[in-house]
Amino acid sequence: MNAQPVAAVDDLRVHFHTSRGVVRAVDGVSFQVNESEVLGLVGETGCGKSVTARSLLRLLPSPPAEYVGGRILFSTPGRGVVDLLTLSDEEIRGIRGDRIAMIFQDPSKALNPAMPVGRQVGEVFLQHRADHLLERAGVGLEELDPVSRGLLSRAAGERSRAPERPLLRLPRLRGRWRRIRAALDESVAQALADTRIPTPLKIMRSYPHELSGGMKQRVMIAQALACDPDLLIADEPTTALDVTIQARILDLIRELQQRRRTAVLYITHDLSLVRRLCDRVTVMYAGRIAERAGTGDVFGRPLHPYTRGLLGAMPARAGRDGRLVAIRGSVSEVLNGDPGCRFAPRCPHAGAVCRRRDPALVAHGEPGHEAACFLHEHLDDVAPGERPSPEPVR
Amino acid sequence: MSGAKTSTRPRLASARLGMPRPPQLPALKARLQRGRELSGEVLRNPLTLAGCLVIAAFLLMAALAPILTTPNTPDAYQMPRDWQAIDAPPGSPGHLLGTTSTGGDVLYGIIWGARKSLQLSVMVVGIAVLIGVIVGSLAGFVGGRLDEILMRTVDVFLAIPELIFALAIAAALGTSFTNIILALAVVFWVKYARIIRGQIIHVKQNEYVEAARAIGDSRLRIYLKDVLPNSITPVTVQATLDMGSVVLIGATLSFIGLAESGLTEWGVLVATGQSDVIAGKWWVSTFAGLAIFLWALAFNLVGDGLRDVFDPKSQRR
Repeated sequence: MNAQPVAAVDDLRVHFHTSRGVVRAVDGVSFQVNESEVLGLVGETGCGKSVTARSLLRLLPSPPAEYVGGRILFSTPGRGVVDLLTLSDEEIRGIRGDRIAMIFQDPSKALNPAMPVGRQVGEVFLQHRADHLLERAGVGLEELDPVSRGLLSRAAGERSRAPERPLLRLPRLRGRWRRIRAALDESVAQALADTRIPTPLKIMRSYPHELSGGMKQRVMIAQALACDPDLLIADEPTTALDVTIQARILDLIRELQQRRRTAVLYITHDLSLVRRLCDRVTVMYAGRIAERAGTGDVFGRPLHPYTRGLLGAMPARAGRDGRLVAIRGSVSEVLNGDPGCRFAPRCPHAGAVCRRRDPALVAHGEPGHEAACFLHEHLDDVAPGERPSPEPVR
Repeated sequence: MSGAKTSTRPRLASARLGMPRPPQLPALKARLQRGRELSGEVLRNPLTLAGCLVIAAFLLMAALAPILTTPNTPDAYQMPRDWQAIDAPPGSPGHLLGTTSTGGDVLYGIIWGARKSLQLSVMVVGIAVLIGVIVGSLAGFVGGRLDEILMRTVDVFLAIPELIFALAIAAALGTSFTNIILALAVVFWVKYARIIRGQIIHVKQNEYVEAARAIGDSRLRIYLKDVLPNSITPVTVQATLDMGSVVLIGATLSFIGLAESGLTEWGVLVATGQSDVIAGKWWVSTFAGLAIFLWALAFNLVGDGLRDVFDPKSQRR
């Protein structure tokens, strides 16, 4: 198992400046996503998983968001390793949609309602694959004069100035411009066909409101995978879909991911999906990592009380009496620096030390299995009465 | 030569996938179809249909003005003078709607006045929409300080009543129809700036804007492709309504005397006939007033119809 890391998040800290103070949405999170693996990022609403994911594409609006610390190292073949947080706006735009792509939660909201979906998928090719389009159209740029060459290559990259648009209708350019558009249409049709859309030519001309939710999510997946990215971020891509469609979309993502050896960061609150899809799991709680391990270990030997709580809330794991066990309370917003463990207020095992000190992420048991919990540490310097109790106290 | 080049072209993906070649301009076709559906929905309302018919009649009248009447020389937009038929009542030979006290044919004034009204409303609404959309977009899309500055400027404009503001500007600029156009444009753009700003602030929070950022689109491209097309609909409704009210206020200004006298403009015509109404010569002001009324009514009906279709929530009943 010598997988290459595609992206490594290192001690990422993201703060939000709000009227009520600074919210530490992500507070020292580190993980890495390896080539051709699916990493599940799990946690309940408000735990910072979406903020982490958006940080990889630098999509957070700033203000209010601020990257206070940490690095996000991203390796791309040919360009070496870059820190995404220090790239210029221009450079990060070159990576978005090309090397790192994202699928959003609700496909009906993530597609522009005023534009046929084919054009929205085509947008990715125009942004990142202009050269490829010119080549595919067989335009033969080298035979042309520099002016026409400039006009066509700008048009293929959607960078034409408005006044030069009509020039593309000139007899000398018209045929070539039409071939570029035909090449674009073909690329789009192929991208849609790859996601098992049965009639891509018909679908690409449809507006989002004419398509079903599952079809729209396929379009989003086609758009995301159009440029064959190194990393795909999927932010709860099946939450807004029918249960019957969910399974098919999951299988599709899994299949495309395996065929292209894409690394996937899969964000969800649904552990049953994790089991089906992910190779490794990272559990987040209130801006920190609570536990991380291979999928089997998380389900077989969960260490962190929060992970156990999440598992207890899964319908498939309901107790003998058929009841689900909910975790008490809800994620508290982290406004001010509390010294203790963030889960302590809701934790059934918490002792006095948990409210005083913050546990570090420490390896336990299987290789790669880490948890941030005093329950599994030998606390020699702490009085026995202050240690967390092995049995849940309610 | 071109045949040889064709053969070196890469094979089409559609051929490989066993699909027919994509037809040209699929987007345009879909848009046309959507346009047809929308217009069908709009015209289902009988009032809107009536408004459309009245507007069509006015446009036809404006277009055929030189055929329906003999254009006055040297300036067709000056009322002709027929000194043989002063104050002729409606139905007089050659003067279907009568004449003014200086022998001007009322029908001629109304027909060529339709052209003036069209000119007025298209110019004013055009300039106002252009300025309004630019200012509103900058304020809404860029936001921050710029938003504050622009919107406070807009507030200043809005604090003065429309008619009085336009009157003051037109009076300051001097008596001419062109100045009325300018004055009205200065008054009307603020509404559009506010509408488009509100829309853009709403639209730019949509997830598809974030999705567009996630595929690497630039800010300008996102504005042109995702934000503006989804923000513009209320502007079209307001523009349609304003096509009517611009003529109403424009006629008011020319009635007061801010347009050249003798101009074939409905407001001027109403003013010309006004003093004679007491003497029983009702036709000049009445017919010109009727033209203004019908124009404003028609555009209001169509504007309301458009709003009901675009925003079903505002529908009455």
